[in-house]
Amino acid sequence: MALVNFTNLDFDQIKTSIKDYLRSNSNFTDYDFEGSNLSTIIDVLAYNTYISSYNANMISNEVFIDSATLRENVVSLARNVGYIPRSRTSARATISFFVDTTGFQSNPLTLTLKKGLVCTSSNTFGSESYTFAIPSDVTVPVVNNIAFFENVVIYEGTFLTTNFIVQSENPAPPQRYILENPNIDTSTISISIKDTQSSTSSRKFILSNSLFNVTSLSRVFFLQEVEDQRYELIFGDGIFGEKLQSLNYIDVSYIATNGENGNGISSFNFNGRIVDNNNNLVTTGISLITTNVTSQGGKEIESIDSIKKYATSFYSTQNRAVTSSDYVTLIPKIYPEAQSVSVYGGEELNPPQYGKVFISIKPFFGPFVPNSIKDNLKTELRKYAVAGIIPEIIDLKYLYVEADITAYYNSNLAPDSEFVRTLISNNINSYANSTELNKNGARFKYSKFQKIVDDSHESVTSNITKIQIRRDLRAALNQFAKYEICYGNAFHIKTMEGYNIKSSGFNVSGITETVYLGDQPNIDKKTGTLFLFSNPDFQNPIIKKSNIGTIDYEKGEILLNPINIISTSKSIGGESIIEISVIPVSNDVIGKQDLYLQLDINKVVLNMKTDDISSGADVSASLYDVTSSYTNGLRIRQ
Amino acid sequence: MPLERVSKAFKDISMSFQVNPINYDIIGLKNENAIARSVRNLVLTSPGERFFNQNLGSKVSRSLFENIDDISASVIKDEIENTIRNYEPRVDLIDVIIDPDYDNNNFNVTINYFIVGIDALPQQLSFALQPTR
Repeated sequence: MALVNFTNLDFDQIKTSIKDYLRSNSNFTDYDFEGSNLSTIIDVLAYNTYISSYNANMISNEVFIDSATLRENVVSLARNVGYIPRSRTSARATISFFVDTTGFQSNPLTLTLKKGLVCTSSNTFGSESYTFAIPSDVTVPVVNNIAFFENVVIYEGTFLTTNFIVQSENPAPPQRYILENPNIDTSTISISIKDTQSSTSSRKFILSNSLFNVTSLSRVFFLQEVEDQRYELIFGDGIFGEKLQSLNYIDVSYIATNGENGNGISSFNFNGRIVDNNNNLVTTGISLITTNVTSQGGKEIESIDSIKKYATSFYSTQNRAVTSSDYVTLIPKIYPEAQSVSVYGGEELNPPQYGKVFISIKPFFGPFVPNSIKDNLKTELRKYAVAGIIPEIIDLKYLYVEADITAYYNSNLAPDSEFVRTLISNNINSYANSTELNKNGARFKYSKFQKIVDDSHESVTSNITKIQIRRDLRAALNQFAKYEICYGNAFHIKTMEGYNIKSSGFNVSGITETVYLGDQPNIDKKTGTLFLFSNPDFQNPIIKKSNIGTIDYEKGEILLNPINIISTSKSIGGESIIEISVIPVSNDVIGKQDLYLQLDINKVVLNMKTDDISSGADVSASLYDVTSSYTNGLRIRQ
Repeated sequence: MPLERVSKAFKDISMSFQVNPINYDIIGLKNENAIARSVRNLVLTSPGERFFNQNLGSKVSRSLFENIDDISASVIKDEIENTIRNYEPRVDLIDVIIDPDYDNNNFNVTINYFIVGIDALPQQLSFALQPTR
């Protein structure tokens, strides 16, 4: 009998196969007894085979990107297809402050905020304080003894510098320029090169991700991730990129960051260094710091799973955005804060808009991509897009589900209502964050949601859950604008008297009071008209303006005729919004087409009631606290 | 047709790896010798020494640096008995005698046993356990 099984990775199985071999091919018999000499020899053979098999298995796994597990191997394999994994990204905040130069001995013309440390977080977060820096100097003029540093973008992390001296033009082995810190945000790397260390002038080199437009004189450097999440700088060879000369002095500066830990910081203390145009240090007259934008956008280094996913897709795009999936792959690379991307061609619309591709992006932070980033993204995408095709970045259309839950629980089986409430809340949170929702084409399954509440704890006996759907209208203030809001779900007409939709308050030109949207169904119960009403005492509504738009109950559409909204009572991230909620015909809510379905955790109401019948406190049910299955009678959203 | 008689025998390899001068084959150990070697191997193997079999062996080496007295001897005796019962099914143990040798700083071990499966006289295996580093 020959040894046939070469692929075993289990020591005992290898040992068994050697014993089987000896059983049929040898005069020896004692291999079955652990104390025998033969058994010791078999152990050594099996162990040797085991190590060889393990090594062979690991090597063959690490050769392919699908099965590789070590980061440096995955990165190396991704490099073969031209994919550079995303580095850790520092959180960015925008601040403003001014310096009053009154009383300075010499009147400075300009003030310069030097690169490096600018601020520290004024509060400690989990016993940690964060530092914020800028990668290059910021100079502003002094006007009327005041120097305004406005909208300075600061980066969370430590500003670091390192230097290399080029040993010779063709050293053997080749000289490597490795940045030793593993937490670098590569977008902050700045390189200047001097002819020698003592030279006074320097040349700036910029990062290049491809060989496009790179000539023998281009001052570029390339970057690659090497072992232990560090980065290696690669310079040109005189054909692609300028070649470095012997004794050239490389000055590298970068920011090493804490990644996503630096997000959400809004309060800063100044710790920077300001000098005037005569290089005198400024220490007085510096105002408190105003935070324009809270720190956000900090991210960890790209994970192994993400590299595996995007490296292959990235290769298939060939640096070109042609199909919609090309855009889906390219956008997270250009804009790392993208959590999910949805892309469709204009020809799919009704009516079709040929020559356009529509992109909606859900960022990790906040609901919408800021307008400034949208413009940048469009410019970046033009480099990849097919000539004649215009990328249009549109805001995600969120369809929120709001739930009003009354859960009954058996008080004998739970320590208190808060205990049960916490369990239910946790489960609802998990459901809200699951992939069942949070995507285009998602469905909120009412019965499953009720089951999640019921199954939260053994004490929960039943629940009554009322569902509303809501969309937020982003108002264009102080201008006449037409609005169309689609819900993709049919609306329930509770009463022909109207007030089936509920909105938050807003002000329009020509009406002094805060107004709300109301609806009046037509006889056919399919469509209706919209009106504005005020509701000062929450009891008797006063209609202020009729026929301001139409409502289609079957299609789930609200259409507002041109209207000049001047302010709204609610806002999200500085954007004025009007919340408009309706009761859907079906409790199963569908996120149709471009609607991104979310369960709004902040608007989930959870009431706890004891089930006195189950607990035995009220066996006859004569005092049972009944909960209505229908929503409240308010006409507006508060 | 004469009944074929299958002789049950134990054959093991010798760790000396010497060559038999007559047939130039490796020297083997048979029956009583093979089992005696196996018993000795088990007693002298420390747990954890063998790959993926952490419990095989006896912990006698831990007792060899204790005071040489009857208590240590008793511990060693129990350990040897347990090891042989657990890992050597070919041996039917009669007794284990541990004799502390105070002058030479070691324990003299005598193991008496029957061999299960072959027709052999009761066996006696003697060796000394000495503390070595």
